[in-house]
Amino acid sequence: MAILEVKSLNKIYTTRFGGNQVEALSNVSFLVEQGEYIAIMGESGSGKTTLLNILAALDTPTGGEVILDGENLSTVKEKQMSAFRRDNLGFVFQDFNLLDTFSLYDNISLPLVLMKKEYPEIREKVETISYKLGIHELLRKFPYEVSGGQKQRVAVARALITEPKLVLADEPTGALDSSSTDSLLNLFNKINEEGQTILMVTHSIKAASHAGRVLFIKDGEVFHQIYRGNNSNQEMYQKISDTLTFISTGGELDD
Amino acid sequence: MTNFFYARLAASNIKKNGQIYFPYIITCIITIAFYYIMKSLSLNDGLDSLYGGGTIRQTLGLGCNVVMIFAVIFLFYTNSFLMKRREKEFGLFHILGMEKKHLMRVTGMETFYIAILGLGFGFLFGIVLDKVMFLLILRVLGREVSLGFYISREAIISTIILFLAIFFLIFLNTARRLGFSKPIELLRGGNVGEKEPKANWIFAILGALSLGTGYYLAVTVQNPVAAIAIFFVAVILVIIGTYLLFTAGSIVLLKLLRANKRYYYKTRHFIGISGMLYRMKQNAVGLSNICILSTMVLVMISSTTALMIGSDDLVSSRYPYDFIFYSKEKVYGQTDFSDREAVITQALENNGLTEKESIRLRTLEFSALKKKNGFTILKDADIEAFINDFEVLDFITLDDYNRTTGENRTLNDDEVLVCSNRVKMKSDLFVLDDFQFKIVEELKSFEYVGGGALASNIASSHIVVVKSEEILNELYEYQKEQFKEMAQEIDYIYGINVDGEEEAALNAYMEMRNGLNNLEVPENEVTGRVESKVEGAQGFYDIYGGLFFIGIFLGLLFTVAMILLIYYKQITEGYYDRERYVIMQNVGMSQKDVKASIHSQILTVFFLPLITAGIHLIFAYPVVEKILAVLNLSNTRLYVYCTIGCFAVFSLLYVAVYGWTAKLYYGIVKK
Repeated sequence: MAILEVKSLNKIYTTRFGGNQVEALSNVSFLVEQGEYIAIMGESGSGKTTLLNILAALDTPTGGEVILDGENLSTVKEKQMSAFRRDNLGFVFQDFNLLDTFSLYDNISLPLVLMKKEYPEIREKVETISYKLGIHELLRKFPYEVSGGQKQRVAVARALITEPKLVLADEPTGALDSSSTDSLLNLFNKINEEGQTILMVTHSIKAASHAGRVLFIKDGEVFHQIYRGNNSNQEMYQKISDTLTFISTGGELDD
Repeated sequence: MTNFFYARLAASNIKKNGQIYFPYIITCIITIAFYYIMKSLSLNDGLDSLYGGGTIRQTLGLGCNVVMIFAVIFLFYTNSFLMKRREKEFGLFHILGMEKKHLMRVTGMETFYIAILGLGFGFLFGIVLDKVMFLLILRVLGREVSLGFYISREAIISTIILFLAIFFLIFLNTARRLGFSKPIELLRGGNVGEKEPKANWIFAILGALSLGTGYYLAVTVQNPVAAIAIFFVAVILVIIGTYLLFTAGSIVLLKLLRANKRYYYKTRHFIGISGMLYRMKQNAVGLSNICILSTMVLVMISSTTALMIGSDDLVSSRYPYDFIFYSKEKVYGQTDFSDREAVITQALENNGLTEKESIRLRTLEFSALKKKNGFTILKDADIEAFINDFEVLDFITLDDYNRTTGENRTLNDDEVLVCSNRVKMKSDLFVLDDFQFKIVEELKSFEYVGGGALASNIASSHIVVVKSEEILNELYEYQKEQFKEMAQEIDYIYGINVDGEEEAALNAYMEMRNGLNNLEVPENEVTGRVESKVEGAQGFYDIYGGLFFIGIFLGLLFTVAMILLIYYKQITEGYYDRERYVIMQNVGMSQKDVKASIHSQILTVFFLPLITAGIHLIFAYPVVEKILAVLNLSNTRLYVYCTIGCFAVFSLLYVAVYGWTAKLYYGIVKK
């Protein structure tokens, strides 16, 4: 069953003066199945971030539609949008987006507090998730007191705590060193194996090589996709790398 | 060349950080204008022509010191938070190759620019505001005030010296922070929350002591003359106590709220409380500032309003009759004042005034030492006694009382009626050495013709109504025996109410005075003197006009400052919080949640200053009452009503300002 349907998505930006039009996305369509781990790759300016913003309901498309678990995003009312986002989506950002005023514990509990859950429930969930992600020892600290890798784990915990239908990750390894990157990617694999659907936008080959499927975007269009099949991470890495070389040298592919 | 580079860099830094610098510069301007106005007012020559000009000048001088303390604390704190916001930027400069001394040079230049901007606009604003307020208040009062508008060179110089010193200290503090920091710490600086002061409990104890002493001084003050000096000591102590207790108290309160998980983990409380803890010291200082200014406004406005509303009251209690003639009777054995009264009647007639009613009575007045069991005037009584312990006794006969009030009371020989102007007798017996009377009733109020001077007396006074002239005479003889040549005489008082124009009454009064002065009286007699209500009222307004002016002027000034303070707090916090609210809205916080959270934050602590100001006001009551007594206002109930009224109006204003600024805040933090 598809948890996310993206149908002929268009996004046209009009520059402020002169009315020049820039097509950021054109006719993007794909499906994400329940429990899938999908990576979207592309160079800077290829439309990755625009796509992610539309999927996150932070931006509206010019044409086409996004259907999350049977619900069309464009029919969700403005007032309910925050709640919709909170209840259905989990976010992991490149720069963590943790709040300095909150301890890590409070950062993780934020979505639940916004959902107006009772404290005992909040405590139970925060404890469960923090044990799982190995950050239990750190919960009393503040974001400025821990490393980047630890911050990103906290951000993942915050994204997962609401048990969202879809986790959206925007360059989650972008600000991490290589060992933190490895550990984060392993973590993503682990939660994916437990059934969590993940959609990750990245231009790191290494990050993408952990995904079950990789979509390539070029000039606003879905250009190509690779399924993992039975490939190992190593083989996946090689395939992605080849594809990217191919794209950047301007070749045409048919799969 | 390099100098020019730093100068330009400093200027562009300020411009680039305009969002956080703009409110800071505004704060500097307001504070400077504020201090300048206070200082120039205290140096205004017009003060000398006012009643109690010296005292007012001294009061304003002390007020300047209060504003100075306020300015130092306020500017220091606003600057240090500003610098904290910029630590990242400094770290970057540092890493890009600027040495610490270069950074200090840049911050030095920046501070210098701010100082120049602040002083320049501060004076401009101060002078303009001074003038505008002056005109406005003259309009409101509707009468001339002897305080002229003027630009004080001395005030300008002292303002410049003070604020250059403050800015220099601010610069030293910044330099110290830069000097001790490592670049990597600087890079992270903006994100680190404030640490709880290490010695928070010492703060709490010192604060409680300071506040307690201030309150104690204010409550226990007895002597109205000493009240003004004590008042200022108390004010300083209360200010210090407020700062310390707000710091310690607000942190403890917030931590308790955070510890209460069921309360803390609620959408509306979660964000506000963590935000306030994050900048706990700034929060506390902001709240204390607002609290202190509110208290100042309330004391100033309510006492001034009481004086203003009470002024007609004051005049009529000081001058119960349109014309009052006083003379000494007893020592000369004289009972006939017809020649003097003829002068008065003639003057009335000449000016077309008709007599409505008149009264003649006798009164004996002397001071006695208040002891535990009553009064004494014995020679060997405690001569070390404080002047405070002397109270004034004013005896009249029942006949005179009944005629004055139109009542028809009866008394026995050993019974009296008592009416006290300040402290009630609270006893069944009235004892003066060997004299002992039963107090039949303590009268709430009794305005009689001779009582005007008594009512305005700052010492505790008691009117004692005795049964007969014989008793009055006995008392007279007794005090004569004790006081010898210092003894008092029985006063003869003649009061007249008339119909007619004010102008005519004034002319008549002049005529009476001249007539009495020129009257030939027998060798041993005194002529006596006459008082006029119209003339007295005029002098009264002359005297109090200046006071009203100063009270309202400073009250308005403090109100403006308070509004700006709240505005500043909300705006700066809005900019600080913006980023966080945007993140939260990305994670799924709705506009409704944002609003609810802002309101919860306001309800948690923002009314604390107002409530505390109310408590300060209650403790200020005894000392303010004494000071008002010096200024002749003894109607304390009026003061209480004025205070309650002012507090109510002020609270409305406070709520309105918060509503307005909360909206601004919301506008800043919403996506």
